[in-house]
Amino acid sequence: MALSSKSADEISELLDEYGIKHGPVVDSTRNLYEKKLKEAMAKGKRAKPSDKTYYREEEVTYVYRTPVRSEASGDSGTYMRSRPEWSEREYEHDTSYSGYSRSRPEYRGRDFVDEPYTYSSPSSYRDSYSRPTPVKSAQEAPKSSHLVPLWVQLVFFLAVAVFLYVVFSSMETNESLIGLE
Amino acid sequence: MSSTSQKHRDFVAEPMGEKPVMALAGIGDVLGKRLADKGFDKAYVVLGQFLVLKKDEELFRDWLKDVSGANAKQQGDCYGCLKEWCDAFL
Repeated sequence: MALSSKSADEISELLDEYGIKHGPVVDSTRNLYEKKLKEAMAKGKRAKPSDKTYYREEEVTYVYRTPVRSEASGDSGTYMRSRPEWSEREYEHDTSYSGYSRSRPEYRGRDFVDEPYTYSSPSSYRDSYSRPTPVKSAQEAPKSSHLVPLWVQLVFFLAVAVFLYVVFSSMETNESLIGLE
Repeated sequence: MSSTSQKHRDFVAEPMGEKPVMALAGIGDVLGKRLADKGFDKAYVVLGQFLVLKKDEELFRDWLKDVSGANAKQQGDCYGCLKEWCDAFL
């Protein structure tokens, strides 16, 4: 390996590979850097040419993995999920209610999955009513998947439902239930 | 301040202008002649080399030893002198 026949750029690259801190390779510094490279090679230090790019690629694949999975389940790719089982359940229900939930850009599938068990058929009114809370959980959830758990939302929903029932039942004595459909 | 020589204090007190290379701390007659033979006859030329080596201590010391045969103390004195000059004027 004739270092003296290499170009300044090549010397510079070699210095980087051996992790040698250096300035520009000019006439007055060339000798010094060639010496340093010879020492590094003699010591048998391992040169790592592609260390940085490898790490970067790893990062990129990790970021892209989750949206692909959620896209496959028919949902938009904004929400990053850590649990694969959720996406599969969501996919099953998505096919049964064909095209119904696809118009929404935000993720609301996680709460929607539990809905079909409590209601026999999803009417448009019901879905719009139950929509605000799942949307909220979707916006909060991407940051950390389990900090705002599902049960908190369900408890809140039940509390609101009970409250409304109490309000309506107290009104029953005065008027008939016109507004309640 | 107590560890620096008079030569060091004189050098860092003002812009170096056309001072000879022997005005640098750590560089006496012998080393000065060796440096001048290699083309580094003025202090500012050594400054140029110091800057091209990105003011890195290890690189500068290695270079100085390589080009003039300076020992560790001389290397350290010269580096310290130039570094302080740069901090003040560069």
